[in-house]
Amino acid sequence: MATPVTRHRKIASTEPPVASSPTTPASFAIDYGPEAEAVLVAIQTEIEHAPTLCEQYPPRWLAIQIVERDEDILRRLQASAEGASLLKRADRHIQRLAEVYGDDADIVLTDHRYGWINTLVRQVVTRPDEEKVTLSERLDRVLTHRVLGLPIFLAAMWAVFKLTSDVTAPYLDWISGVISGPVTEWAIALFHFLGLGGTWVESLVVDGVIAGVGGVLVFVPVLMSLYLALAVLEDSGYMARAAFLMDRLMQPLGLHGKSFLPMIVGFGCTVPAIYATRTLENRRDRVLTGLLVPFMSCSARLPVYVLFAAIFFPGRAGLVIFGIYMLGIAAAVLLGLVLKRTLFQGNDGAAFVMELPPYRVPTLRSIWLHMWRRTSSFMHKAWTVIMVMSIVVWALMAIPAGPGRGAFAHTEIDDSIFATAAQAIAPVFAPLGFGSWQASGSLITGFVAKEVVVSTLGQTYGAEVAATGDETPPQAVNPVQDLVRIGAGFVQATVDTIKSIPLIVGIDLFPHDESPEPSALMSSIQRSFAATSGGHAGLAGLAFMVFVLLYTPCIVAVTAARHEFGARWMWTSVIGQFALAWIAAFLVFQGGLLLGLG
Amino acid sequence: MADYLIALAGNPNAGKSTIFNALTGARQHVGNWPGKTVEKKSGLFRYRETEIEIVDLPGAYSLSAFSPEEVIARDFLLEARPDLVVTVLDAANLERNLYLAVQILELGAPAVVVLNMADVAESQGLTIDDERLSQALKAPVVRTVGRREQGIDQLVETVYQQLIRRDKGAGPSRPAEVTLERL
Repeated sequence: MATPVTRHRKIASTEPPVASSPTTPASFAIDYGPEAEAVLVAIQTEIEHAPTLCEQYPPRWLAIQIVERDEDILRRLQASAEGASLLKRADRHIQRLAEVYGDDADIVLTDHRYGWINTLVRQVVTRPDEEKVTLSERLDRVLTHRVLGLPIFLAAMWAVFKLTSDVTAPYLDWISGVISGPVTEWAIALFHFLGLGGTWVESLVVDGVIAGVGGVLVFVPVLMSLYLALAVLEDSGYMARAAFLMDRLMQPLGLHGKSFLPMIVGFGCTVPAIYATRTLENRRDRVLTGLLVPFMSCSARLPVYVLFAAIFFPGRAGLVIFGIYMLGIAAAVLLGLVLKRTLFQGNDGAAFVMELPPYRVPTLRSIWLHMWRRTSSFMHKAWTVIMVMSIVVWALMAIPAGPGRGAFAHTEIDDSIFATAAQAIAPVFAPLGFGSWQASGSLITGFVAKEVVVSTLGQTYGAEVAATGDETPPQAVNPVQDLVRIGAGFVQATVDTIKSIPLIVGIDLFPHDESPEPSALMSSIQRSFAATSGGHAGLAGLAFMVFVLLYTPCIVAVTAARHEFGARWMWTSVIGQFALAWIAAFLVFQGGLLLGLG
Repeated sequence: MADYLIALAGNPNAGKSTIFNALTGARQHVGNWPGKTVEKKSGLFRYRETEIEIVDLPGAYSLSAFSPEEVIARDFLLEARPDLVVTVLDAANLERNLYLAVQILELGAPAVVVLNMADVAESQGLTIDDERLSQALKAPVVRTVGRREQGIDQLVETVYQQLIRRDKGAGPSRPAEVTLERL
């Protein structure tokens, strides 16, 4: 086909596109019955006398739209003089139809079309003799059952939550083990070989870069397992049913039935929860869900609660931790109600129509594509941010705050500019009862990852012996043995994962078997909080927990939010969470003081 | 500029995107419909020295102006006047899917009708008389299983034949025959 082909527009403008055009296959038309046809032909003739309309619309089609009272087309016709006069003349004809059919004249054509299709299907499709109840229908009888549906749905959600939190744990341990074990050892050995052992370069690579890489990699198993679950739920067709089941519950919050899954996943980790909002079709629903998801307390925040509850509320720790989780849910509900009435108005009255596709067995290829493409896209976007943050924090802790306070990368944490910076922002937290540099410092590193709040507190209160490469002499590195160890570790992780699958069924929300923190740290925190709160350490501790619950989950979640919702919503979310956390912690502390508690 | 412009239409869940991917492979462009937040996908494919541009219309149940997707699909058919509309039907849910197809045909657009997920329909014990369907709709009918890329070659050939036939001004085509030739 070397000759340039006459393009569509040409053909269309010279002749009416339907009927008379020889290029259109013998024109398709439905017979709408004598009365309607008479009206259609009459209107069509009117249209053919209006050259501009004729050029824009196929005449018979336009006549059908006029009789069907298609709002969009009527509006467009009203806008031109030619169209408006056509409508006036058409109304006379339609009037005739109304005399025959009464008020329903406008649905005569639609009815006829459905009838025509129904007849055609009966001619064309042969159904099996005895109407086979499809597997889909049988499954739906159970899965969307009015009584059984909800428990089955909750069980499915529970399975997804356990899959993304507990089942991936062995792989997480394996990855962090490999990073902090062999990889770090190899790096240290390499630096010693190069004569750079104990220098700041070694510290940068080991404590900054390698730690940053680890920070990204630990999300791989979590995201892969989430996308595995999502792919199975979506491709199988169950997701549509789940949304249908939950819709009534989520509607008052201005949310969609499908918002429930991200919320559940959020208790495991906020990052996959933000990506899980993709299952929502509508951008408004996605963003609103994404704003609320961080209030579902993720598992990384739990160690903070465990430590603080043990310090300030011994004996009632379980109850306090449970209360914190409930507070997060309450915050999400309240915020949802507020946002629904402010930033996210609209869409409420719209009729909600959802198709329930037949159940299908998902193909392995499509599941793998989901898992791989989405996870690698996250890695691609997140690694730079995480790396930069990791190096910045390392640098802050490495730079001495002044002469005589240690050399670069060889300074105690209290002598670093990290302490200076934490000291500078500490007054912000003074009204909340925890204005010490140690507490604010742990909140800074908590912005990078909640997992490190406790270890930062340990470091800053000097209760933990700094265990860096400097003190342990480099051991002889045996790469073969290490590789065997890594391989064996992976196998062990897989075995542990398989073993933990039964855990999906068990309920084990508050594992109290966490190794107890050194009591030295606990009493340091106790003393420090008592000092900054004027003797109301309990209230300050509670305020601190509330603050940790509500402020930005971590830099990775922030990156995920930017990835999914754009920079504007990311900042809205970051600033909003900080403000909300501050206000809530303020209310807890100052309100508690007023009430004479603590 | 491509030699021909064709559109791909169908209900949500009819398997439109698997057909689109099978036709275009990596030659895709994803953007938004002007002024809308609805995704617009278009792609190119070449067959027998002919370059064909294909625009994936948003999934819709009808061409009535009920949703933004429906308005976009309708406006595109009215304004861009594609040379051909490939209408994808879920063979297992023919009755519901035909509503959109009938409205597209009423618009006077030359069409090729795709019976997708033919395997699912078969597994439900449904037999579909393609030839009769083709006669009633006055358009060629092609069976596909998009997930396994079955029937795609035949679809491409049918699309090509329709475009050529139209160009030659060979008068009303005999769609049933086209289908028969392929079999």
